Amino acid sequence: MAVTLPDATGAAGEELFAPSPAAGARTPPAAVRRSSIIARLRRRAVFLETFTWLYLIWSIIPIGIAVLFSFNSGKAQATWQGFSWRWYVTDPTQSVLHNAELHQAFVQTLVLAGLTTLITVPIGVAFAIGIDRWRTRTASALNFVMIFSFVVPELLLAIALFFVVTDLLHFLPLGTTAEVAGLVVWNLSWPAIVVRSRLVTIGRVYEEAAADLGASRLKALWRVLMPMLMPAIFASAVLVFAGVIDDFVIVEQLSSTAATQPVSVAIYSNVHGGLAGPALNALATLMLVISLVVAAIGYVGYRLMTRGERKNTAEALTTIAGM
Amino acid sequence: MPGGTITLRNLTKRFGDHNAVDDISLEVHGGEFFSLLGPSGCGKTTTLRMVAGFEEPTAGQIILDGADVGRMPPNKRKVNTVFQSYALFPFLDVAENVAFGLRYQGCTRAEAKQRVAGALDLVQLTGYERRRPGQLSGGQQQRVALARALVLNPSVLLLDEPLGALDAKLRRALQVELKALQERVGITFLYVTHDQEEALTMSDRLAVMSNGRIAQLGPPRVVYEEPESAYVADFLGVSNLMDAVAAPGGDGTCRLTIGEFSLTSTCGSLRASGPVKVAVRPERVGIEAFVASGDNRVPAMIERTVFLGSSTQVVVRLAAGAGLQSVVRNDDPAAGWVAGTPIKVVLPPDALRVLANDGGTVEQIHEETLGDVAPVPA
Repeated sequence: MAVTLPDATGAAGEELFAPSPAAGARTPPAAVRRSSIIARLRRRAVFLETFTWLYLIWSIIPIGIAVLFSFNSGKAQATWQGFSWRWYVTDPTQSVLHNAELHQAFVQTLVLAGLTTLITVPIGVAFAIGIDRWRTRTASALNFVMIFSFVVPELLLAIALFFVVTDLLHFLPLGTTAEVAGLVVWNLSWPAIVVRSRLVTIGRVYEEAAADLGASRLKALWRVLMPMLMPAIFASAVLVFAGVIDDFVIVEQLSSTAATQPVSVAIYSNVHGGLAGPALNALATLMLVISLVVAAIGYVGYRLMTRGERKNTAEALTTIAGM
Repeated sequence: MPGGTITLRNLTKRFGDHNAVDDISLEVHGGEFFSLLGPSGCGKTTTLRMVAGFEEPTAGQIILDGADVGRMPPNKRKVNTVFQSYALFPFLDVAENVAFGLRYQGCTRAEAKQRVAGALDLVQLTGYERRRPGQLSGGQQQRVALARALVLNPSVLLLDEPLGALDAKLRRALQVELKALQERVGITFLYVTHDQEEALTMSDRLAVMSNGRIAQLGPPRVVYEEPESAYVADFLGVSNLMDAVAAPGGDGTCRLTIGEFSLTSTCGSLRASGPVKVAVRPERVGIEAFVASGDNRVPAMIERTVFLGSSTQVVVRLAAGAGLQSVVRNDDPAAGWVAGTPIKVVLPPDALRVLANDGGTVEQIHEETLGDVAPVPA
């Protein structure tokens, strides 16, 4: 967008200064040439471009360095000692594969992400449909609570959940159960918001058409609304999954022993312990790869599912990026 | 007598403190093509949605073939709808869309297949079974929507501006087709539109609606040629409206005074007296040279002429102040006269219709016929 506007004005500017054919044939006026150089510079939008590149470099280089040193054959974090898979598989004690703590953290993250997604998405979808299609006072109150939980600081929620679990709900032990419960609460607004925005886009006419053709309310919901919501359901599953991989605050509060610590917590405690070395880089790289793959699957999947609808590139990106 | 009779009795729908449909009563006969015509916001779509079952009436009855269905959910009614946006299910192909409702009629698979084929044949879409709605043109989608509703053999088909999303040329072609289809299947069509040409060409009868009420109901020719109010006259095509003062004349005629000129009328509310509105259609407004004389001729001046293709529109202003449109043949001498030419306007007594006064000014009536939102110029 930023490029097209200067382009248009630049072209208009050139035309304005264009010499009449007779005069131009003899002496190309200096003013014309200068103005076209300015137009070309403006067309390139040099400042914007430079700034964008600086920003990208600034944000990507640290990650690149961390990833690079996960392949270092030595323990150093600053000097390159040759390429190896040592920190992933080959080191018999310290690699991600052989260090029980890191290995377990990796599995725990995937377990939490999977369980949370499986529980959160159906509840969120039901929530969205309830709030949007059955408009009552209760529905709008619930909607308020949902949006409220969306803006509440995560740390506050995490600490509150910690006290609820330890003081009130004794049947909910710290560890995986409490972690999943907390993550579900924290992530519920994703499917609720994403699915609801799709409900608004779809409107009620398809349900009315289904009812008109003889379907009961429930049948219309199942045969018409559900298939139309699939892209949003899928997108929110991706968002929740990726969100849980990223999560630190809630799992840190609600994990119990080292056995229930996911990757984020393991990295945090080990950086301070300083023992695992580049194996942590390897672990972080693995999580980065999984996040990227999930995001890619989400983007491609959403595009495939909404094929045939207009202008879905931007919508797919913004939906997967969490709007 | 075929089924499909709809009787609306004192039907009312209130949204907040606004009466979207205000106490209307009418009867649609079985097998009839009946249109509800009016600008947006006049209540025609709300009426249709109540018949379909998407809105519950605030008061009144909807009687379908003798049974009150006003409180019945839409999936229990023997009516089907063609939506303005078609509402075809995008994730199903054409055949699956058409077969959607057959499941609820307890059809066997073989029977369903046969009926889908029959319905697609009826709308001339055989061969398109495996296409998705997104791969069809607007006109084709419209036919699928028709087939999807007709395959269920409803007593009444409800159509909510079904041609509204199509371009003008296709719309005209489909008008003819839709009317022919209705005659072939013989079921009642209740048709909602804001397009007067659509309603006039297809309907057996129509009701012109205004502010949730019926302004006039009758066959197209009667409503078009004998509008009962200034609102209907103005809404049904370009009609010149003027303020006049009426007084009873001899032998059942009406004497009209427009400005300082006196004219005779022989149609409309001839017994009116006092301030009235007078309507005259542009094709009946004659233009003669200024020197011409005779009854029902008033002096005026040409304001501009517009070439319309098959005819020429001449806009004139009467000495009394009112503006009038006239449509003349291209070879009429008046078509060549320049702006500012003084002329005589001929308003024949049988074309000068006296209308009961609605109370509003000519401008207010124009505004009312435009509705909530000005319609997109076709």
